[in-house]
Amino acid sequence: MRHRLTSAFGVLVSLLAFSSIGIAQTSKPSETKKTPAGNPSSTAGLSHDLSGVWMQYDDGTAPGFARMNGVDDRTRPPLTPWGQEKFDSAKPLMGPRAIGGQEDSAALHCDPSGPPQLLILPNPWEIVQNPGRTFMFFEEYHIWRTVWTDGRPLPKDPDPSWLGYSVGHWEGDTFVVETVGFNDKVWADLSGNPRSEQMHLTERYRRLNHDTLEQQIIIDDPKSYTKVWVSPPKLHKLEPTWEIAEWFCASSEIQTYDKDVRKPSGGAAAPAK
Amino acid sequence: MEIEEVKELKKAKNSVPYIRLPLADFSIPQLPSFVPFHLLSLSPELSLFRRKFFPSRLARLFAFVVSMLILSPQAFAQTNLQASKPSENEKSKDAPAKLSHDLSGVWMQYRDGDVPGTPGMNGVNEHFRPPLTPWGQAKFESAQALQGAKAVAGKEDNSALRCEPSGPPQVLILPNPWEIVQIPGRVLMFFEEQHIWRTIWADGRPLPKDPDPSWLGYSVGHWEGDTFVVETVGFNDKEWVDLYGNPRTPTTHLTERYRRLNHDTLEQQIIIDDPKVYTKPWVSPPKLHKLEPGWEIAEWFCVLDENKDYDQVVRKPAGVAPASK
Repeated sequence: MRHRLTSAFGVLVSLLAFSSIGIAQTSKPSETKKTPAGNPSSTAGLSHDLSGVWMQYDDGTAPGFARMNGVDDRTRPPLTPWGQEKFDSAKPLMGPRAIGGQEDSAALHCDPSGPPQLLILPNPWEIVQNPGRTFMFFEEYHIWRTVWTDGRPLPKDPDPSWLGYSVGHWEGDTFVVETVGFNDKVWADLSGNPRSEQMHLTERYRRLNHDTLEQQIIIDDPKSYTKVWVSPPKLHKLEPTWEIAEWFCASSEIQTYDKDVRKPSGGAAAPAK
Repeated sequence: MEIEEVKELKKAKNSVPYIRLPLADFSIPQLPSFVPFHLLSLSPELSLFRRKFFPSRLARLFAFVVSMLILSPQAFAQTNLQASKPSENEKSKDAPAKLSHDLSGVWMQYRDGDVPGTPGMNGVNEHFRPPLTPWGQAKFESAQALQGAKAVAGKEDNSALRCEPSGPPQVLILPNPWEIVQIPGRVLMFFEEQHIWRTIWADGRPLPKDPDPSWLGYSVGHWEGDTFVVETVGFNDKEWVDLYGNPRTPTTHLTERYRRLNHDTLEQQIIIDDPKVYTKPWVSPPKLHKLEPGWEIAEWFCVLDENKDYDQVVRKPAGVAPASK
């Protein structure tokens, strides 16, 4: 009797030992596994951990441009009259209408970039997940954005802003981000396609495997486009040893660059506004 | 009548937090590492316990080893959380840290500034500035200050007026909301000022030996008891340390000390060490910040185009000089 009790006790105690080790190893902020809708992670085959520094693959479709097709010109729907007017007056950075020295992207005079343009630029970016909030950090102009994952709805009447207001939730394997509240001072891409205050942007993320993040951009902007603009998904590679470097667009540095580099090489100065 | 050792053990046991194991959903006590296991063999009550459940020395040894296994992964799991977000249990392990190591939240400085008309912005305190070196003096005199006796309205030349990024320590003293978020190995700070964010590496890495000059510098942080100490090097010289025009250079070594005095109060102290500019380290008095639990950092970019619009729409009609070019 005594022996059985002892051995039972010993077994219980060793079970505790190993279970606590198991838990210590896997314990991590796992808020991301829970969604406000109670979507269980156990049915999802892919990881809900999107964290890391990412860099898009250079499988771009425009000649000479290795990347930047997360918003894909080839699947763009027809423009509305308003959209066409905006598009015609834009002086794009790339594509057949681009003229070297004449480009007029807001980012060239250090205006902030915002989604979706920010998402397609070929620079490192980072995802950090925290309870109730997901952060994205972009090397592009040191921009950061918050995606609220605490179940709150999109704002009803947001003020226009550069980055918009984003909320996110999980649908099985996919992290779905929705953003509204944009201003119209940034293009949707680098070809001059417009972004209006009515844009409702959807991004869909899936961690296909440890090293690959899939990102799909869906633009619903009835003021600019006659239909929803769905671009093909774009793959991003995990860069485990990278850290987001500091990169600010500072007007004084642009002037120095004009003086020391562009002018002597015969290139046009940065467009002054 | 209780034996002293038993009383001691009971006290130790009752004073520690319990941990809920999600798997089994029952609690086991997390005993601090100083639990006197040797006492298990001493007292009569405990020796009864011992004789009943550990009939042989082998069984006793087995139980002892296994109980150490239970406790050590818990201890390990707790301290495995990086230094930036330690748990309750660290309090019982180290020499008593009485203040919380949780610095997270949206903060706003108290309006206890001492410059007339500017209620805040004294985190870098001019009253405590050491004498300047000759080089520092020349730089200081050429700056066109934003505040203080030297300031001339319409002539200010603070780099942030041209939408150049504001970095530490200047960004730390501006009267705008800011936020701390702690994650393993890293502390993030977000500033409403120009939507700036910075990373403080809290994973034990050293400061870089020869950093390139940058707007924000390169920051590392570690805990000293109650205080989170941030050190930053690698600054450029394109902005001031404050709004008076006091210089910041690539040789500036900035130290910030943070303490969460209570739930609603964060204490911040700024120490500037730059032998090229200041003849001694510049130690400002600590500054208090209030927790604002209902606030979220709003979007605020400094955009040159918007600055020009603002000139047209607001400054000109008001008769105020436009933002400097």
